[in-house]
Formats: sequence, structure tokens, C-alpha cells
Amino acid sequence: MTQTEAIPPAEDERIKQRSTFRQALIRPELGGICGTILVFFFFFLSAGDSGMFSPSGVLNWSIVSSQFIIIAVGACLLMIAGEFDLSVGSMIGFAGMSIALLSISLHWPVWLAIMITFILCMAVGALNGWLVIKTGLPSFIVTLAFLFILRGLTIFAAIATTSKTIIGGVRDAAKGDWLAPFFGGKIFTGFFQWMADIGWIETFSRGIKKGQPIVEGIPMLMIWAFGLVIFGHLLLTKTKFGNWIFASGGDAQAARYVGVPVIRVKILMFMFTAFCACVFATAQVMEFGSAGADRGVLKEFEAIISVVIGGALLTGGYGSVIGAALGAIIFGVVQQGLFFAGVESSLFRVFLGVILLLAVILNTYIRRMITGER
Amino acid sequence: MKITRLFITAMMALAIALPVVLVPISAMADGERYILVSHAPDSDSWWNTIKNGIKLAGRQMDVTVEYRNPPTGDLADMARIIQQAAASRPNGIITTLADYDVLSGPIRDAVDQGINVIIMNSGTPEQTRKVGALMFVGQPEYDAGYAAGLRAKGDGIKSFVCVNHVISNTVVAERCRGFADALGIKLGRAMLDSGQDPAEIKNRVLAYLSANPNVDAILTLGPTSADPTIAALKENGMAGDIYFGTFDLGTEIVKGIKSGIIKWGIDQQPFLQAYLPIVVLTNYDRYGVLPGNNINSGPGFVTKDALGMVEKFAGQYR
Amino acid sequence: MTEPILKMRGVAVESDETDSDEIIIEMKKIEKHFGSVIALSGVSLDLIAGECHCLLGDNGAGKSTFIKTMSGVYKPSKGEIIFEGKPMNFTRPRDAIAAGIATVYQDLAMIPLMSVARNFFMGNEPTRKVAGISFFDHKTANEITMKKMKKMGINLRSPDQAVGTLSGGERQTVAIARAVHFGAKLLILDEPTSALGVRQTANVLATVDKVRNQGIGVVFITHNVRHAMAVGDRFTVLNRGQTLGTANRGEITAEELQNMMAGGEELATFEGSPDV
Repeated sequence: MTQTEAIPPAEDERIKQRSTFRQALIRPELGGICGTILVFFFFFLSAGDSGMFSPSGVLNWSIVSSQFIIIAVGACLLMIAGEFDLSVGSMIGFAGMSIALLSISLHWPVWLAIMITFILCMAVGALNGWLVIKTGLPSFIVTLAFLFILRGLTIFAAIATTSKTIIGGVRDAAKGDWLAPFFGGKIFTGFFQWMADIGWIETFSRGIKKGQPIVEGIPMLMIWAFGLVIFGHLLLTKTKFGNWIFASGGDAQAARYVGVPVIRVKILMFMFTAFCACVFATAQVMEFGSAGADRGVLKEFEAIISVVIGGALLTGGYGSVIGAALGAIIFGVVQQGLFFAGVESSLFRVFLGVILLLAVILNTYIRRMITGER
Repeated sequence: MKITRLFITAMMALAIALPVVLVPISAMADGERYILVSHAPDSDSWWNTIKNGIKLAGRQMDVTVEYRNPPTGDLADMARIIQQAAASRPNGIITTLADYDVLSGPIRDAVDQGINVIIMNSGTPEQTRKVGALMFVGQPEYDAGYAAGLRAKGDGIKSFVCVNHVISNTVVAERCRGFADALGIKLGRAMLDSGQDPAEIKNRVLAYLSANPNVDAILTLGPTSADPTIAALKENGMAGDIYFGTFDLGTEIVKGIKSGIIKWGIDQQPFLQAYLPIVVLTNYDRYGVLPGNNINSGPGFVTKDALGMVEKFAGQYR
Repeated sequence: MTEPILKMRGVAVESDETDSDEIIIEMKKIEKHFGSVIALSGVSLDLIAGECHCLLGDNGAGKSTFIKTMSGVYKPSKGEIIFEGKPMNFTRPRDAIAAGIATVYQDLAMIPLMSVARNFFMGNEPTRKVAGISFFDHKTANEITMKKMKKMGINLRSPDQAVGTLSGGERQTVAIARAVHFGAKLLILDEPTSALGVRQTANVLATVDKVRNQGIGVVFITHNVRHAMAVGDRFTVLNRGQTLGTANRGEITAEELQNMMAGGEELATFEGSPDV
């Protein structure tokens, strides 16, 4: 029995009309936005005149936040796709050491060292993904194994080739290189010099840099962070592939049945996480001119915490890149801000735990309202 | 809406409560402010003496002092802390040169911003000059190791194992190298990466000694590696038989010297490394006076006879 | 113990059908072995466009395995599949989907965390190019979703509404609408009403009716005879991996179907149960 196009009911009385305010409020990024505002407000009050909001202070926590943003974007996309990568921190150490050893011990040009390192890291990422899928083990376990494997290899390679665990001299090796400035350079230097000249920024008062602004420019690290957030957000929300990421994490089996290439999605996300770790490491090596075998320890957990503060669900299928970026900013501002506020540095972990709890509770509330979970 | 109202009230309560609770944590004196940035992870107990030293100096000179360190010992974090310290515009920064490549940039920048810097504990006099610091207060590592090695050679030692618990600190490893050079042997496998966990250190020392039963001497680099080594020697019965010397002092080390397990401890006198820079910086800021050279705080060999005051203040000022 | 009265249908369907009825798929003597376990030992079924063919059988009869061979999840160990007159060899689900066979599973229909629009177009996302890069065309997706949902009788606040806010029956309906929209010629519904209440079951059955009238063939798997009788044109019973027989609507009673599902034994009757 067919029905002709029925006149739709005027208003289904079961659909409550929500106020537009509430509608705007209920977004996955809400926890992140609230947290960020709260954190800045708190530090304005308690550390406003401590140098935290001077140009060099702002640069200090902006750089730290940018570092967290870079790995948080990778961790976010992977978590939404339903997997974890605990080897990110070890990969940061591994990648840094790879660049240093290739360019210092083997005397390769730095741009080649960087490119080969990227390829190597993404291959390890792909291996992680492939193992997870092939063995069916939780990604937690597989990447935990690589956490140890990569860290051990990093220390071994360093000591076996140079008997040291810190390899320096990369800054000299990178002089004149065309690729290195994309990670370690600064842009808008002219603008900052102009600001120094008219007195908006303080300058160095002695030494060879006398007259130059204390903040010379915007570090490429921050550009990378910004770019990765834009890329990640667009990929996730505005492309076909992004829909597949949500699907793979939400219900991999259901996704497979409608033809979503779940395996491809997951492996690519593991590779992307590795890529982000490599960006972090390259920027760090270029900034400090050296690689250390102990770099990056525990960074994977910091990335995961940022992502969770940003509203992502640990079991996958739900999250926001913007939220993860906000979570990373909160992380960086709190970590650096506590110093400026004169708080004992061991209290950082207490603060972090409190913020994490508050953010997760708020996010769970919001998610239940959006998705109708009981 | 109940939820939104509840939410907004909660946020406001939090926003008001937190700053009130947390702002007055650092004690403010009216005078100058100095920050000491170390490279030690939270777990390294040797730096307690440093913390006490600057506290005492701060009280006596009537200045504010702060102690900062990277929680995991990551030198990249330490560099970041130095930048942060500089941004907060103190009167002076006291720090170590655990790795010249990583730290020279931020230290140089701090100096160029007009902040006085003194290097303590780790670093060479030449590096200190290059970063533009006022002076170096500490015990040159290689020289101390070499002196200890000579002493051991004089006592008939031909081989040793160096228990290194800070393998990533290249400068501290110089102690082992100096010792080896004084004995006239290659360092190579004589340096043992023991990690920092006490149980791990004890097990690795036991393993090394059973694999190399003919090693003549043990050199440890601080209480972190010495204490578990004492326990290890007691366990395998070699305590008192094997020649055992150590860097630094601590409660267990002092006990070890008294009971004959440890031959001598090298005191780099960290108290001086903390106390003197504060005094020097304060007087420099107030009156413009500055000592003309670096200050060597060590080595001081502490044997059984010299233990009195060491015992009294072990772990606190000695 | 009376013999159930029904017309047995053999494999050669053509002789019983007029030329105007179009056969979408024929499954001939399908067997499926998993190692030493024989899940299907000769199942035959065919489907005509615009009919709802109910596949009945108790739990463990082999219904799920059978439809998985139809939808490309399993390859049959023996037997033929003839789809639209041509022999077919599906190696993966995507092949079956591409051919026009859509399956709606019982609990794997939708992803609750994602919006209705995203679920609807999952795997078939509409795109538009901006500066040479393909982007998900949310505008088109949302428009079509709202239109389709309204047609199916589901009122959404907005296309961004998460599927988790819909009831079980509504989710099934969305899944069915999705399959139909993307060109399903054959729709397999795996126990769609088994977990639903009265009202929702009625909604789903009404949807099935709508779908059938669009000329799509429906294979409706269930172990509930009442639901099958409400909507089916033909009924095939499976037991222990074999077809017991196929009957047309009107040629068999609910009680007879029930007995066949139980393996030919008469089920216990209750005092006072009505005669069929």
C-alpha cells in the first residue's frame, strides 16, 4: 500500500526546540574552549606582571604549546580512527638521533638526512599499523612494544657510533642547507626588527646581538603547528576521507560493510602520527643544534591528554582537531605558566590531573547530549 | 536551562577560587631575585644540598632565590626553562652547562638581555667564557677524575668499573675518562650504564662483578649510584675487599667510609657551588665587585679521619 | 502428525514463472564448509523483482551464513550464483555492493556517534571540487538526507543529529533508505525486527512495503513467523543448512511454517490456543 506524499506534521511535539545559545554551546570543542579561557584568565590574574605576557614570555609558552599541538593533531586523528600510538615519544628521540647521526657521523647533507628520516619514520608508522591489523592485537600493545624498541635502538645507535648520547654540531652542519630553515628558521623577522626599532619589543642590550629584538620572529614550529591544525581539521570534517576516519573508529565492521577501506585508513593515520612526531623532532634538533637519546620521553601521554581535553573519545569515532589543539595550548600554557606564577613545579602534575578530570567530565556531558547516549 | 546555569556557576566559582588559593606561593623578599636552573631530574637527591645552599644564602643575603629543573632530566626542557627564566627578568641566573650545544644558545641570549649568569657544577672554564657568564664555580670533572685515578694508581689499582647513573650527561662521564687515563687504560667497557633506579643499579653492579671477577676497583659517581653499590657489595660479600671510591658524599656513603667499605669520597662541596654564586651575584648587583677568576669548589678527598662535620651535615649541607 | 501441505519448489524456477516477472538472483544448491563443519549443505533460493521473500529458520539453521554468501562476505564452497542472468563470483563485499546487493545487518546498521547525514552517505560521500581538491559536499548530503528522512517518516531536528538519538526502528529505516538510495536492486535484511518493539516493528514493515513497491527485491530473514506473514510474498524455510521448501503467500499457514522451522516436529501446543 503506497502513500501519496503525506502532508508533513506541522511540528513533531517530540522534538524540543533548543535555544540557539544552547545549540552553539553544544559542540565537541566546548570543553577545550572553556578550559583555554579559564586558564588564560587564571594566569592573567596570578602572573600578569611576571613576564609571562611579555614578548619573550609569550614566545616561551607559544613554542611549547606548538610542540604539543603538532603531536596532538596526529594523536587526535588516530584516536578518532580508533587506535593509539604510544611510541610517539620514542619516535621523537629516534628521528632526532637519525638526523644527527646521518648528518654528523655519515656527513650526509642535512636536507637528505631529514628526508630519509621522514621516510624511515613513516615506514615505522606503517609497520605499526600493519602489525595492529594483521595480529588483531590492541594498538596499545603493539605501539608499546615499539616504544621500547625505538628507544633502545636510539640509545644503541648513538653509543655504538659516537660513544655519546648527545650528538651535537647539527647547527653548523645545517648552515646553508635549504630544507633546515623550514623547520628551525624564523619568519617575519623584518617585522619584528621594525617593532624593536620603534620600541614595542625589548632588544638585547649587549653582546653580538645588541640592538636586535629579543623575539626575532615567529618560529617555523608555530607555522607547522598552525598548518597541521588546519590540515587536520579540514581533512576530518570536510572530506570523504574524514568521514571514513570517523567510521573506522566508530564501528569498523559497519564501515567495512558499506565499503569503507578501514585498513587503508588506519595505516595512513599511523603514518600521519609518525609524520607529526618527525616534524617535532626535526624542529627540536634544528632549534637546539643537537639530538639526545632521551628526548621525547612520555610525550605520547601528553599528546593523548591534550586530545582527551579536546573532547575526543578514547574508544574512537568522536573528536575534534580544533579541540585537541586547544587541549595542547592549555597543556603548554599551564606547564609554562606555573613557573611564571611562582608555583612549585611539582604542582604541575596536580594541576594537569585536575584540568584533565574537569575537561573529561564536561566533554562526557556534552557528548551525551549530542549523540543521545544514555 | 538547568545545565547551562549549573555550568556557568561552576566556571565562575572555579575562576574566582583558584587564583586566591594559589597566588601567594613564592615567598617574596624585597631584594634581588635569582634563579638557579639545574639539569637534574626530580629523582636525583644529590641536588638537595644545592637547594639548601641557595636557601641559606638567600636568607643571609636577603634575596629571593628559586630552584628550577626539568622533571625528567631532558636537556631540551632545561633549555626551555632557561628561556623562561630569562623572560621573567630576574637579577641573575645560575645554571649548569650540562651540554654546551643545547644550552649555550639560551644562556647567551639571557646574558645579552642584560641578565648576569654564573655557571656552576657542570661545564669547562672555556665554555663559561664563550657564553658570556661571569664565572664558573665547580669542580672540573676531568681533573677530578684524573686526580682520583692517580690516587688509586698509587694504591696499586690496575683496573676499575665506573658506575655511571647519568649516562646522558657527557660532562660527568669525563670523570670516568679522567680516572681511566690516570690508570693508563682505555675506558671502553669499564663504564657501566646503570640507570637511575636503585634496584636496577644494584642488579647491574652485581651482574658486572660476577662477569668480571678480577676487576680491582669500583668508582661511583654519586649517592644515586653509590648507595645501591654498597648494598650490592654487602650482598655478594665483596664489601671491604674491593677498592671502592666515590664522587660526592651522602648519608650512606659516609657510613660506608666509616665502616671501611669505601676508601674515600670526593667532595665537590656542592654547598659552595650553590652558596657562593648567590653571594657573588648579590655583591655584584649591589656594589659592583666581582672575584677575578673561577672558583674551584673541589676536589676534596674525604677519608675516615675527616668525617666529623661531614657526618653531621650529610645530605643537608655536605 | 500430518505432513505439511506445501508446494515444493525445485531449482528450475523458470517453468513456473511468466516471462514478465524478472528474476534478480538465483542461488543454486549453495554449500559452505568451514573446515570440517558443514554450515550449508545445499540451499537454493531465487528472488523476483518487487517481491519480499522471507527466509525463515530457527537459530543455527544457516540463515546468516547463507546471506553472507549472497552478499559477498563468504565465497560458497559449492553451488552457483546467477545475478541478473549472469553467473557471479563475489570475492569481497564491495563487489556485491557494486553489483547492487545491499545488506542491512541487525546491529551493524549505523554508527551512533556520527550524524544521520554522515551515516547515510558513508562510503558514498558526495564531493565537490574546490581548487582541484575534492571536498565532502555537506550541503548536498544534508539536503538529500532531510528529504529522504521526511519521506520515510523520520523527523530530524537537523541533518547533524547523531544517529544515537534515533530509536532502533528508525535506525533500521535509515539503513534501508540508504541501501535503496544507492541503487540496491536486492535488499537483504538480517533479522531487522528481532530487537524492536511493536510500534517500531510496524514502521520497519511499512518501510519494507514501500521499498518493495519500488521494484526492489527484498530478502527478509527472520525467525518470527508473524512478522514474515505480515509482509512476505514467498517463504523459504531453512533447517540445519538445507532448504526444506518454498511456499507462496496464501498457500501456507503460520502454524505450518512454524512446524517446518522446528524441523517437522509438531511444536507443543498450549491449552486454549486457537486453531489456525
